[in-house]
Order: sequence, then structure tokens, then C-alpha cells
Amino acid sequence: MKYFLYQLKKSPLAVIGIAIILMWLVFAFIGPSIIPYTHTAMDSENQMVGPGMAGHLLGTDSLGRDILARIVYGSRSILTVALLTSIFSTFVGVVLGFSAGYFGGKADTFFLRAMDILMAIPPLVLSMVILGILGDSSIVSLTIIVSIAFVPATARVSRGVLLTEKSQEYVSAARIRGENHLYIMFVEILPNTMGPIIVEATARFAYSIMTVASLGFLGVGLQPPTPDWGMMVIENKPIIAQAPWTVLFPALAIASLVIAISIFSDFVSKVLIHER
Amino acid sequence: MKDNILEIDNLHVRFSTFDGLFSAVNNVSLELKYNESIGIIGESGCGKSTLSFTVMRYLASNAQVDGAIRFKGENLFDKSEKEMESYRGDRIAMVFQNPYSSLNPSLTIGFQLDEVSMHHQNLNKIQAREATIKALEMMNLGDPKGIARRYPHQVSGGIQQRICIAMALLCKPDLMILDEPTTALDVTTEAVILDSIKELKDKLNMSLMYISHDIGVINKVAEKIVVMYSGEIVESGPKQKIFENPSHPYTRALINCMPRGGVVKENTKLNTIPGYVRKRGADEGGCPFADRCEKRNETCESLYGTKEIGEGHFAACDRAYATDVPDTFIEKLAPKKRNVDTDFDSEKELLKIEDLHKIYGARRKVYAVNGINFDVKPHSVLGIVGESGCGKSTTGHMVSGLFKPSKGRILFDDVDVSIAWNKRDKETLKNIQLIFQNPGRSLNPSHTVEKIIGRAMQKLANINDVKERREKIIEILRKVDLGKEYLKKKPRQLSGGEQQRVAIARALSISPSLIVCDEPTSALDVSVQASVLNLLNDLQLDTHVAYMFISHDLNVINYLSDYIMVMYAGKIAEYGKRDEVMENTHHPYTEALLSAVPEVDPTKQKKIIELEGQLPDPAKKITGCPFAGRCHKQVGEICEKEYPPMVRLSEDHYYFCHIKP
Repeated sequence: MKYFLYQLKKSPLAVIGIAIILMWLVFAFIGPSIIPYTHTAMDSENQMVGPGMAGHLLGTDSLGRDILARIVYGSRSILTVALLTSIFSTFVGVVLGFSAGYFGGKADTFFLRAMDILMAIPPLVLSMVILGILGDSSIVSLTIIVSIAFVPATARVSRGVLLTEKSQEYVSAARIRGENHLYIMFVEILPNTMGPIIVEATARFAYSIMTVASLGFLGVGLQPPTPDWGMMVIENKPIIAQAPWTVLFPALAIASLVIAISIFSDFVSKVLIHER
Repeated sequence: MKDNILEIDNLHVRFSTFDGLFSAVNNVSLELKYNESIGIIGESGCGKSTLSFTVMRYLASNAQVDGAIRFKGENLFDKSEKEMESYRGDRIAMVFQNPYSSLNPSLTIGFQLDEVSMHHQNLNKIQAREATIKALEMMNLGDPKGIARRYPHQVSGGIQQRICIAMALLCKPDLMILDEPTTALDVTTEAVILDSIKELKDKLNMSLMYISHDIGVINKVAEKIVVMYSGEIVESGPKQKIFENPSHPYTRALINCMPRGGVVKENTKLNTIPGYVRKRGADEGGCPFADRCEKRNETCESLYGTKEIGEGHFAACDRAYATDVPDTFIEKLAPKKRNVDTDFDSEKELLKIEDLHKIYGARRKVYAVNGINFDVKPHSVLGIVGESGCGKSTTGHMVSGLFKPSKGRILFDDVDVSIAWNKRDKETLKNIQLIFQNPGRSLNPSHTVEKIIGRAMQKLANINDVKERREKIIEILRKVDLGKEYLKKKPRQLSGGEQQRVAIARALSISPSLIVCDEPTSALDVSVQASVLNLLNDLQLDTHVAYMFISHDLNVINYLSDYIMVMYAGKIAEYGKRDEVMENTHHPYTEALLSAVPEVDPTKQKKIIELEGQLPDPAKKITGCPFAGRCHKQVGEICEKEYPPMVRLSEDHYYFCHIKP
């Protein structure tokens, strides 16, 4: 922790990244209670007003809905999906990757080929196809589907870090103590691989925001009335010339959050490398 | 002034890190004459390597340097990076510890050597190759043309290191710095390399700066010795004087803590130095050794200065010569006495190995252990010694169940346990414990000491009550000289010696009857090694556990063992009671091994039997004597063709050779 702060002092970029993430978290938690509008409320007198006008800080869209309110409400759903996705895909990835790497042999070969096949399809396309077939996209189904699309990546990373730890002598020591496989994998090895796994999980967090926003943009993401940043961009595309703020602010929201998390992820990996 | 090739004046090197500024080299001054060789000795963390890197000006960016290094009168700190290029490699050459990481694995050896003379001496390709071949010839490498065509991985570690030295020789440097060049190599290879370094130094009129932690090695190559501790020179002087009259407490402790010829567990307890080398802050004063010194008093913390004791002999200690009575030099500590040898000589073996084989790999086979028979008596110590690749560790790992033998039987207390860990019963797992070479890797870095030791107790000794377990852990920690405060520490917070103590505590905590010790001291500094050896010996006398002690260091084996087994290429060369093997050596390989051990006492010079060539290819099955190719006593064709018979000298002493006693 002390080292974390020491490094933080030396890298202003990481400070900015962390500040942006904190800002979004604060928005998502307390934003709805301080903003005078809800995301669905239509101000029919003030349609497509510019930022700062008629009490709308970031303006309104063609239906007179407050952009700020929609972005803040949207941050709740996107952060929920992204957080759940990164936890869920990391968890499944660790279990799969650890089992394959630990037991090795045919199971490992089968695992690698299966992951290769899944990886050959881009996560976005895979999610789109599944969502298209299901025809329903709630926060739950979106989380599950994006997680599945991310599992190959997290599983491969987990397998890789397990392989380097597996040859350590403390694993041999556990074996000749008669420990079972589950104990060795999750009590002996897992704590020592937490560094790279946490880094991967934070990277997945950023990717899933991108993926959810892209799905929203393509119209297969969260369905109205749930506000979604990607959806806001595509909704307001026809009026981009008259009211550019309706597209600009949601796009900025996506970009700021994704970049901030990427910076944070890099920083975490730097600190964790020192820890080892 | 004029006859010094290198002068270092009040050199300070400090590193600024996250934990603050610390001092790596502190106020070091030394002189090196033309054609002189200087040996720098100290434990790890004493600033020896930093000193040598500073001479080459290879320093990390967070280093702060103060002082002067004058090479032939010119201060190297005044030179620009460009000017330094003409010094590095050209006038000052350096050889590093790991030959395989100093050579580029994807270029041929010849190419890498040619490059040096093409760059520094502007030779063309043909001239450069000629120079390369000549340099390789100087290092006594057979077939230099063939070697030049090969890649680094195609030759052994010893040859790689000789290539590195040849590379350093190419530009005919005036000063050669050798940073632990033989530490990673086997003793027999080390002996050959040390000899050729000495020879070349005289032939080429070079000055040498030789860095090592091993007094025996320094004794062989250096004329002048500098002892460093925590970044400072604590004693310096001509070799003879340092060995005959070591005056600084650290030098004495360092010389005394090494197990050497004649020192065995029954007659001497090894001297140790308590504690470990501390990192020193930039402005700490006083004697750096004060906190570990037995003879410290109040003045040590403040007073510090170097005094001349004899001609050219300096020591940085106030009482260095005040208490200079001979008995303080070799302080013999009385060893713990062995309890009455009740069942030590009993007929019944604890462990019996029958025709043990281990072949690795399926398609490309590696014959690691090729049919060995031996046994371990209860309450005794069997020392297994041999060079790397002789199969000693594989044998130990099979006994402890890390993997299954390919053929043969392991009988433990008359039960066949020639199976791997997952098939062994709890009782067997409990009774055979293993201590690994590298304690940093054998203790889980995420677990606390309590969990590391407690888990073994819980799993194998069925002590499930947390409170009861904690009491037992504290008790066992006390036995290995660690306090209660270690319970909650993680391995990273411990020094190497403390880590190995925890590993020993873990093995002992469940009262096994056999502990396989796989090179438990070779990753440790000599002073720490001594304390671990003392501990292992004391514990063995207390608990009557048997050890299978595996090491490459004959001195260590000699110190601790009751029986010695010499292995070569997966076979037993010689086996017997310690004194029989050491004093009445019969196998030529044992002889060579004994002769190669560096002597610490400068008054004794022995004839080294030089072993040429390499270990036999482990991918081939050997029909004849595995040692035939390198043997200095070969009797003829029979050696290559027929596996030698067992020659039994006494009930417990036998060897495998065609030469009859």
C-alpha cells in the first residue's frame, strides 16, 4: 500500500485515471438523487436545447430528455454489467484455465483448441449472434453473454500464470504432503497468481464497457427504457448536425471511462510486479 | 604511483530507492599493481559486484557515485561514454558469473568472438577468426575450430565460461575483472578454469581482480586479498598475512565458518556469524560489522578507522591486534555429543534401494539414474555427492515420492514405496520428508510461517486443534532458533537462512524418520551455511532422524555424513563409511573430486587431478564404465566396454572400478 502511494506520487497520469473512475462511481451512486430530472422525463418545452440552457446542464435530446440524467442513469447499468462481467469471466477463466494447465495432457490440448475456436470469433460478433438469437437483452443476459465471450482470454492468462507457478518447489512440497488437487490449485497456487489475474480482470472491465457500448450502438444491447451510452449515440445520430452535444457527451463518457480504466490497469500491473 | 594499474580513491556508491538512499560501496580505496592479482571476498550483499561494475562504469541510473577510479593514472569518472568504450572490453575486460547469459544463444561462438576484435581492433573477418582461434587455444580448448562453429547451448557450462574468458582475452586487456566466474560450475571444472586463469595471467602480463565468496577459490588465484563487508573494506593485505593472521573479526569468522578438510561433526562445531548483512543507510557511521560481532564494545558504533598491522596489511578494527592470541583465531566449539549408539549399527536398514532406475522423457530418453543399490541405516546420515547431472537429486526426489522410479524398488521399513506421492499412504508421506535447495521457492510466498508449518502438522500428524498446533509450532520454531514473532511473517520478510530454518522446521514438525536434504545449504552464504549445518546436526542428534544429505560440496558432505556415496552419471562410484571413503579413496573419480576441492589453508598445496571432457551424454545408455572418458587412470579397452565390477573392501566400503586395490 505504501508503495502504491509512492508510485502514485510519481505518475500523474494514474492519479487522473483513478480520479475519473472515482468520479463515475460517485455519479452512479449518488447522481440520480441530486439531478432534478430522471432519464425518461421529457421536457416538452425544451427539446434539443444546448448545454447549460433551461436548467439542462448538458442539454436535451430531440424528445427533451436531459442528457446528463441519461448519462448518469446509463453509468449505473454499464458499470453494473461491466463489473459483473469482469468478475464472472475472470472466475470462470481461472477455473477453466487452472484445471487445464494443472492437469495438462489431453485435457489441456482439448482446452487450448476449444479456446482457439472461441477466440477466432471476435467477442463482439459472438455476443451479437447470441443476443440476436435470444432476442432479449437484460442486464443479466448481457452479463452472461459478454462473460462467455471473454472467457477464452481470461482462461489463457490464468493457464499461463499457473504454468509458471506449478513448477515451483512449494507445489512439490504440497504434493508430498498429500494435498489434493483442489487445495494445491486454489490455496497454494492461486494467491501467488493474483497479480496478473487482477490486472487481467481490470483490463476485462475496460473491454466490457467497450463491448456493451458497441452492442448498444448496434441496437442489440440493453433495450429502452434502460438508458445505455452506446444506444444514446445511435439514437441521436440523425440530429448530430443540429445538436452535436447529444452524441458528443455520451461518446465522451464512454471514452473517459475506458481510458481511465486502461490507465488504472497499467498502473496496477506496475505496482504488482514490484510486489513479487 | 607509476606501478599501479588501478587506483580506487574513497569510492562511494549509493543507490536511491523506494526505501531511501542506501550505501552499496562506502569509502573504498584500493590499489592494484601491474601484473598483480587481487581477490575480493565477502558474503552476498557486501558490495563486491557493485565495486566491479563501478570500475567498468556499468551502473544503474539511480546510482550516485563519489570518489575516483584511476586506471593508469586517468580518472574513469571524467571520461565520456564514448571514451569509456575504448576501456570496456579493450583495456578492461570483465567475465560474469553466468556464462550462458553472457553469450548470445542465437549466434555462433565464433561469430560472437570475431565481433569483439572486429569492433575493438578493426581487424577484418579473416584476421578476427584467426585471433578467435588463438584465444580459444589459449584456454586449452580442444578443437577450437569446431567450437567456433557451434552455438553456446551445444557446449557445456564449463566450456562456455572458458569461451567467455577467451572473449575477454581477445583484446589483450591490461586488467581483467572476474565476477564469481566459477560459482555456477562444478568443482572439477572450477579447478581446471582456475588453473588456466593463473597460467594466462603470467603469460599475458595481466592484472586480475577476482571476486568470490569462496575463500578457497581466492586462495588459489589471488596474491592480495581484500575482505569486504557491507560495502566497506574491513581488511586487506597480502594473501599469506590474511590467512596466517586474520585480524578483523569478520575475516576470522569467515575463515572459521567454512567446513574444511578434517573438520567433521564429531570433533568440531562450526563457527557461525549471527544475523545477516544489513543494508546500510547512506549516512550511517561506525563499524558495519558491529551488530554481528562477538567482540563488540561501545566504541564500535562510532569509532571506525583502518590501521596498519603489518607491512601492507590493514584492518578496520580497533581490537584487531589487541586480543591477538592464537586461540581467538581458531576457536573450537565443542560439538554436541552423540547419544549412545544404540541402534546406529543395527542390521536393519531404514531405507533400502534396489536396482533403482529413472528414465525421463518418452521419445528422447534421458537416463538419469541407472541402477543403483544402497541403503540408509536408521539414525545415520548418508551423504550423496557428485557433480551436477549425476542423478543425486533425482534419487532423492524418487525416495521422497515426487515421482515414480522407472524400474527398481524403494523399500522403506520393509514396505515397498516405489510409487509416487499420490499413491503413498499418509504414514509414508509423514515418515519421509524433503528439504529443498532453494527455501525461497519451497515456501509458499503467500502463506505465513504458521500456516506453512501448521498445514503439515494438520495434514500428516492429525493435530487439528488450532491452539495446540500453535504451541507445537512455537516449540519447533524455538528448536530451529526462531522466536514466536515469526509466526505471522511471510517468507519474503525472512532472510535466506531464516527461510531455510522454517523449511527445516516444517520437515521436523511431524517427526519423520527420514529427511531427504536436497542441497539445503548451497543457496546460502557460508556463514549462514555453517549455522544451518550446525542446526541440522544438533537436530539429528536430538531426534534420531536419518538424513539423506545431497550436496555437490565434498566439504559439507564430509562434515555432516556418517556414510558417503559418490555418484557419477547415474551410477554409484564409491560407497562407504565417511572416514573410509575420505582417507582410503579408491575410485579415480572420488580422487579427482577430492583433489579439486579448493584448499583454504595456503600452506597446504595439493596436486589437482584435472578432469578433461564432459559427462557422458545422458541420452545414451552406457555399457562400459561411465567415467572411462575422463578417467586419468584408465586401464585399457575394458573400461569402455565392460561395466566395472564391485570391489568390496570391507563390509561397508565398496567401489566400482576395474582397478583392483
